[in-house]
Amino acid sequence: MNDNYHIFSDGRIERHNDTVRLVGLDDEKSYLPIENAEALFLHGQIDFNTRVMSFLDDHGVAMHVFGWKDYYAGSVMPERGQTSGRTVVEQVRAYDTPERRRALARKFIRGSIHNMRANVSYYDGRGHEFGDVIEQLDTQQERLEPELDVSELMGVEATARRAYYSVLDDVLPDGFVFGGRQYNPPDNEVNSLISFANSLVYANVVSAIRATALDPAVSFLHEPGDRRYSLALDIADMFKPVLADRVIFRVVNRSQVTLEEFETDLNGCLLTESGRKTVSKAFEETLNETVEHPRLNRKVSYQYLLRIEAYKLKKHLLTGEEYVPFERWW
Amino acid sequence: MSDTDPVELLLESARDETRDDEFHVTGVMMQYYAVCKRELWFESRNIEIDRENAAVVRGTQVDESAYEDERRNLSIDGTIAIDVLEDGRVMEVKPSSSLVEPAKLQLLYYLWYLQRVVGVERDGVLAHPRERRREPVELTEENAEWVEGAIRGIHRVINRESPPPAEEKPFCESCAYHDFCWSC
Repeated sequence: MNDNYHIFSDGRIERHNDTVRLVGLDDEKSYLPIENAEALFLHGQIDFNTRVMSFLDDHGVAMHVFGWKDYYAGSVMPERGQTSGRTVVEQVRAYDTPERRRALARKFIRGSIHNMRANVSYYDGRGHEFGDVIEQLDTQQERLEPELDVSELMGVEATARRAYYSVLDDVLPDGFVFGGRQYNPPDNEVNSLISFANSLVYANVVSAIRATALDPAVSFLHEPGDRRYSLALDIADMFKPVLADRVIFRVVNRSQVTLEEFETDLNGCLLTESGRKTVSKAFEETLNETVEHPRLNRKVSYQYLLRIEAYKLKKHLLTGEEYVPFERWW
Repeated sequence: MSDTDPVELLLESARDETRDDEFHVTGVMMQYYAVCKRELWFESRNIEIDRENAAVVRGTQVDESAYEDERRNLSIDGTIAIDVLEDGRVMEVKPSSSLVEPAKLQLLYYLWYLQRVVGVERDGVLAHPRERRREPVELTEENAEWVEGAIRGIHRVINRESPPPAEEKPFCESCAYHDFCWSC
């Protein structure tokens, strides 16, 4: 029940008996094993009708739509289990109580910095000298004092992330030049990879949040946005080092994605369709990897870690019990 | 919160739906009270459960398929839903006998409710279709006290600001709230 299906080609998805069928422009038909599906990711130009939407709803399958140049365009979520007035009321109360909002914002950053640090230490132990970066991350971690307001916390986060990204040029193979984070649009191959992988993390976090009745637009670290699911941004930041960045390092270092897999034009640099296929395949493999959870006493997939994070936040909001951010423990 | 004895409050709420301090207890709340007070608190606040959870799915299936031909489903006051057998006894069906005390308390509550609110005296039977076993249950004075104690206890739990802390119990593993409680 946790497979994501990515559709890159153009065509149509339709209900066919008790399955979902993908019909390509050349009339070629393929079937999606809907029983195992968590979500469909539509990257191409896809037609669909209400009949298939109801069918996906019945099966609890979400649909994430990516628009032009693979910008996240929106989601169609199954109706079940995603409305709870009380949950949203408690969420807004926490947002509106400055010390509670700051406490949550601080926890999210604590998780993010911890997980960035884990990636840096990994490479520090494998032929790189990243002691100074680790030190910078630790310094930022120590700056997370309770009295900092949200914009100051944002500043700490930004400083930590800049330090973290400074290792990329060393870690990535020759030819891949990062030179700092750029987006809207990404200006080089590495930024393009980061943007695409981050959008996959983001869409999966939206799925996880929507399954818990939390409102994805009411956030604590990021300002609640009019157009963005800003709570998904809060949570996604903690998972980017573990999900997105690991996948990027892997596909690039194994030459699964080379510089040939990008299209550069005046308006930035983007992954080709085959590049996106490779990255999303590696990303799905990572989501399905499991890790022993110390308190649940069983193995859980990385994808389920996203769901757990939403549960933890919801529990904190409804019970007042402490929220402990996701920090890679393995 | 009023100082009325919760048992009185429940009886008055059953007679007068317009009170502003209404207190209703469902059969499920009775069961959760006996199984896990934290789960009861979650339930009272509509914190929804994970419906994909295997144990929940199994419970629903047994409940819907067993004894189809000889039972009638009756809803009373919109508060309790009981199964009445052809011979007039009230039946409660459980997928397994591992949580017998909670099921018994739930059934006793139905018998108590029928007696105190509706004015009908009935006997009950606890059925475990998987094990082809039935156990008669009677509303003795001692059992009625058990029920009333539970009503007061439920009132206390659901009026708490925060849930009772999580406690590791043998059946936590199969609970729909397991990951909610233990993911920390």
